[in-house]
Amino acid sequence: MIAARRIFSVLVLLLVSTSWSLFAEPKTNRKADDKSSSGVSNDSYRGLSGEELWSNNCMRCHNIRPPTMYSDAQWDVIVHHMRLRANITGQEQRAIVAFLKSAK
Amino acid sequence: MKKELDTLKKEREVAPRQKDRESQSVADTAPKRETAEGQAIADVHRQVAPEVTLPVVQPEGLLGTTKLLLAGWADGMFEARNGQVSTFSASFDPIFLWELTPKILFDSRLEIDPSGGGTNVNLVNAQISYLLNDYMVLGAGEFFSPSNVFVERFEPQWINKLPDRPLAIYHGILPNISVGVQARGGFPIGSTRVDYAFYVSNGPVLNTFDARSAGTLDFNSYTDNNDNKAVGGRVGFLPIPGVEVGYGFETSKPGFQGTTFSRVQALVQSVDLEVTRNSYLLKGRINLFAQYAWSHVDHAVYDPDGSLGFGPLAFTSKQDGGYAELAYRPTKLDNDFLRNLEMIFRWDHLSRDPSGRGDPEETRWTLGLNYWLSPSTVLKAAYEWDQPKGERNRNALLIQTAMGF
Repeated sequence: MIAARRIFSVLVLLLVSTSWSLFAEPKTNRKADDKSSSGVSNDSYRGLSGEELWSNNCMRCHNIRPPTMYSDAQWDVIVHHMRLRANITGQEQRAIVAFLKSAK
Repeated sequence: MKKELDTLKKEREVAPRQKDRESQSVADTAPKRETAEGQAIADVHRQVAPEVTLPVVQPEGLLGTTKLLLAGWADGMFEARNGQVSTFSASFDPIFLWELTPKILFDSRLEIDPSGGGTNVNLVNAQISYLLNDYMVLGAGEFFSPSNVFVERFEPQWINKLPDRPLAIYHGILPNISVGVQARGGFPIGSTRVDYAFYVSNGPVLNTFDARSAGTLDFNSYTDNNDNKAVGGRVGFLPIPGVEVGYGFETSKPGFQGTTFSRVQALVQSVDLEVTRNSYLLKGRINLFAQYAWSHVDHAVYDPDGSLGFGPLAFTSKQDGGYAELAYRPTKLDNDFLRNLEMIFRWDHLSRDPSGRGDPEETRWTLGLNYWLSPSTVLKAAYEWDQPKGERNRNALLIQTAMGF
């Protein structure tokens, strides 16, 4: 059983390390997507827009919910709460909230 | 006396003027705010429901400065497991979020479910947190144990991709809930990010009274049994967006004070991996979640004088278990129906019998298919191959619907 577990762990690591570039979205597409959504929010952190931070952080655990689903005040509370769960920084929190409020 | 009278007269003369000014101020600003907010909301409504009549918008100031939000989820489930009676079950898990100021948040979750002839209501967590700065949050109360990443992030049934929860996460190897204080946060290092959470809590209780559970840890005892406090935490590293590896731990002295077990040391550890990737090639999103945990309790002699009927039983307690889950959702397909489907595969394992007289080792393989009705409403169906060592199988059909709000 221990051997099976080790093999399984190695397979998982191999899958992650080898499939990264294979599964990656082409840069041209990403740029096109970025362009299409640019202008929604100017807030950014470490070169990532509020939209990218929202997508990167939220989608790690669950489906992202559209900005229109909650009011501005509700987003304040939700992202504050998520900061405790996902350990995002204060700058990321502010950039995400700014995007969510501006994207409606 | 005359001075006091003059002062009162002046105040009477000033007060109406001040009131008029305030009234005028409200009259000047309120219509503007109503107009601006109303316009913004009208824009949104025009996008989603052009025919809907707009409600009257109240100035936000009248509602106060604190923000209270009811979030949470609800689920209903059917389970048919080999060797057991098939059953429906349901659960409602409200989460109360109260932001007193932009820095102070109270969050609490209840778990409400029907059981037998009544309803169970459990307080799952209740915590006050304070944002110290951009990189640290302080918290106190009853909170999800940071050393166990699953309970912090994936426990809600609209987030957990399969109807049931993986082995080892809730079976005494790792803590789920802790009562104490914590400090947590995240900070960038170049283009990468590190997140952390450290806590001090009451800690677990060492089971010593029966052969089946001897040497295991009871993490559901929220009051302390000694003056030693458990210390734990988790450190996560995000080398690139969408990938996180983490290490969690908790060390404690779980024996009752004044007994021969008071010096016994326990250490639980966990490693985890979360990968989320939008794949152009596969036209969809891939999630890989994995977590493996180990529990170690120092060598001890249980029931040393045989008075409990199973001793003396001497051993070092070791348990381990974990899971790996792979999910794929074709989010980039044009077909709406296919885009809302998600396929999940999970392997999970639990070895929790340190005394050799408890539950056997168990391994499960689960295949699931979900259909997403909305970003937070899902229908799940799964079949689980469950094979405890030396026992007949507990294979199960699981169907669940869950909604997050």
